[in-house]
Amino acid sequence: MEKKFYPQVGETLYKATLPSGLKMVVLPRPGFAKKLCYLVTDYGAIHRDFTMDGIEYSAPAGVAHYLEHKLFDMPGRDITGEFATLGASPNAFTSYDMTAYYFSCTENFRENLNLLLEFVTTPYFTEESVAKEQGIIGQEIDMNLDNPDSRLFDLLMEEMYGVHPINTPILGTRESIAKITPQVLTDCHRAFYKPDNMFLCVVGDVDPEEVAQLAEARFAELPNPVVTAPREWAEPMETTQKEVTTQMEVAMPMFQLGFKAEALPNGIEGVKGEIIGDLAAEALFGESSQLYLKLYEEGLIDASFGGGFEAVEGMALLTASGDSENPQAVRDAILAEAKRLVAEGISEPDFLRMQRSALGRRIRGLDSFESTCFRLCAYHFSKFDYFEIPAVYRQVTPADLTQFLQRVVTEDRMCMAVIAPKEVS
Amino acid sequence: MIQTIHLLPGVTLRCFPDSRFKQEGLSLQFVRPMCKEEAALNALLPAVLLRGCETAPDLRAITLRLDDLYGAAVGAQLRRVGDYQATGLSCSFMREEYALPGEQVFAPMLRFLEELLFRPVLENGVFCPEYVESEKRNLTAAIAAQRNDKRAYANAQMIKRMCKGDSFGVPRLGEKEDVEAITPESLYTHYRKVLRESPVNLFYVGAADPEKLADLLRPIFEKLERDPITLPDQTAFHDLGGCRETEVMDVAQGKLCMGFTTPVTLRDKDFVAMQLFNTVFGSGMVSKLFMKIREEMSLCYDIHSSYHGSKGIVTVSAGIDCNIDGKVEEEILRQLKACQEGQITETELKAAKEALLNQLRSTHDSPGAIEGYYAVAALSGMQLTPEDYSRAVEKATAEDVANAAKTLQLHTVYFLRGEV
Repeated sequence: MEKKFYPQVGETLYKATLPSGLKMVVLPRPGFAKKLCYLVTDYGAIHRDFTMDGIEYSAPAGVAHYLEHKLFDMPGRDITGEFATLGASPNAFTSYDMTAYYFSCTENFRENLNLLLEFVTTPYFTEESVAKEQGIIGQEIDMNLDNPDSRLFDLLMEEMYGVHPINTPILGTRESIAKITPQVLTDCHRAFYKPDNMFLCVVGDVDPEEVAQLAEARFAELPNPVVTAPREWAEPMETTQKEVTTQMEVAMPMFQLGFKAEALPNGIEGVKGEIIGDLAAEALFGESSQLYLKLYEEGLIDASFGGGFEAVEGMALLTASGDSENPQAVRDAILAEAKRLVAEGISEPDFLRMQRSALGRRIRGLDSFESTCFRLCAYHFSKFDYFEIPAVYRQVTPADLTQFLQRVVTEDRMCMAVIAPKEVS
Repeated sequence: MIQTIHLLPGVTLRCFPDSRFKQEGLSLQFVRPMCKEEAALNALLPAVLLRGCETAPDLRAITLRLDDLYGAAVGAQLRRVGDYQATGLSCSFMREEYALPGEQVFAPMLRFLEELLFRPVLENGVFCPEYVESEKRNLTAAIAAQRNDKRAYANAQMIKRMCKGDSFGVPRLGEKEDVEAITPESLYTHYRKVLRESPVNLFYVGAADPEKLADLLRPIFEKLERDPITLPDQTAFHDLGGCRETEVMDVAQGKLCMGFTTPVTLRDKDFVAMQLFNTVFGSGMVSKLFMKIREEMSLCYDIHSSYHGSKGIVTVSAGIDCNIDGKVEEEILRQLKACQEGQITETELKAAKEALLNQLRSTHDSPGAIEGYYAVAALSGMQLTPEDYSRAVEKATAEDVANAAKTLQLHTVYFLRGEV
């Protein structure tokens, strides 16, 4: 096992690739009672089409999330209950490009880890239990339909992306999930829950060698079928529709603005691209920008306004959202401000200030078990060591930011989704 | 270990000295009575203070200062605990040892917090009218936007109806018409009153020595003209009768909310049993409500109960199809009855205990959780440390939990549904 110290962030990591192919890290937290453990797979809502051992598969929308729900089932056992009696609260989430299972506990870490490893690697799906989940996930879909934030995002993605599968909600639809069967779940599990597609990350005061032994005991016998799934999509950078509107029971118009950016490569270049996107967003409309102050003082935006750079496998975008009586004016101001920044440039002192602020926030963020564990996992799948990030900040220049703004923040690449208040009849 | 230092009459500093974290946190709260007359004023005050101070007179100037302090954060803090409303600011900032050699974070942060709190931008001796008007608009919009989150909205509507005679029924952000009535003059008068008379609670988590911090903070308050008042003790629920109501909106999913009363508040010794009952009944993924109504009957995705210990209120909330509220309500009551009759398995009790113990044992592992636990305990009158609380959880029996359940009385039912 490799032990590495990162002086810039004051952290140590234990890292290993186990014989089964599973990769793992342990971030020690001596003096803390809490232990947090994530077992994640490089598989999310966008990975619906794949080839396994030469056979092609195409799964219904929402399958990754459905699988996440059903994996908690074990023959004749209540997994959540078993965690509970061991003092742990397990949970899971599915994003566009990752599925994570996790627990936190203060005691019985070993037993809890074993239970997590066991249930995630044990597919057990019956006709009855798969059918029953339709009711629960159907309610989850309805809940999201009533939630303006998720409606807004789903609407924007649907309008903006013609090719990339981010154009479909993570949960799928009531129609698509009706097509999910035990066989579909079994195939997807076999394809993506295999040792060399997964990652184990523990934050807490635990013995890294013991974590490795327990994990390998579980993963050693698992098959590693040959699976290929598209990780890139030929998505054009231009948007066809520039604005889309729907109505809901909301108090004020809500908007989300998106600008298509190029997908990020893996490794350090990708992280550099992410930092450029983050800092460009801050320079354009962050709280320290001139535009934010102007829009806030004019009453066009309020504290709900926010945005940044977002990347999912195979796509990236710059986005801004909030409540506003006049979303079109906010959009026009952002476009104009980008042009001004490109023409006038970003000063060195402004750039250094944003860089220092971003780094300080990253360091403070390390106090959170949850955000640190999540980042270690997400960056692992992007083939980057998260704790090396301070050095990457120093490779970015003000010109990188203006070039990004010039390329991305244009009408060609833009789309805006708006939810207007329902008119009272 | 928490260390309490009385800086001056009515000004209390609570410190949790801890060098494990990479950041430090400091919050300052003025404690006010929770009442209709003040709720909007107390909500608006920190928002206006965060618009600018003499040395950083607008939003951008504030952010630039925070950027220079390595991305430090300052935010409004508005907290309702029983009959009290605490309003103020909180900040978190990186520890100096991660800064470039010779650069300071702690001292300038403290100075900045003092300036934001006590040297706001004034015009003609009152708050800047432009800032007040703009934050009034924001607050009104935030109040209106509560409708957007249907679950929170439905819960708030239920609580409002249930607590007609209690401070708990006053919305935390106040009502639209109260916000609209505020002027720069009235807000400034309120601010002066708050500075003069309110009990002040300061909370610090970090590596600094508490006595040294106290010496830095004391002069700030010695400069103020203070005539501190003592707030009345927290009270139990004032009951003006319940009701049953349905509201129709254009929604895909219905939200059923039920409110129960109990004489047990977190100032009683039975409070630990009540907390355990709530966990067995409806909090978390192994509770009776979750296991029965979601897992077994597949009637919902989201269902849970909450215990509002400062008042003695238990609420249940479920997101369900719009035509099955009767069936779900019946099942919720059946599960409550099971608790009251002592039908609590050893596994259920153990799971509930472990969930609470896990939470209590990890309280000291996050700066936010530390502040949350002790600041709320100080306001609510809850006397237990996490360690004492844990011991009481370990000792509690299924009979204690059943006895706690027996004190529950259904009070109010509210259902938000779509057109059927």
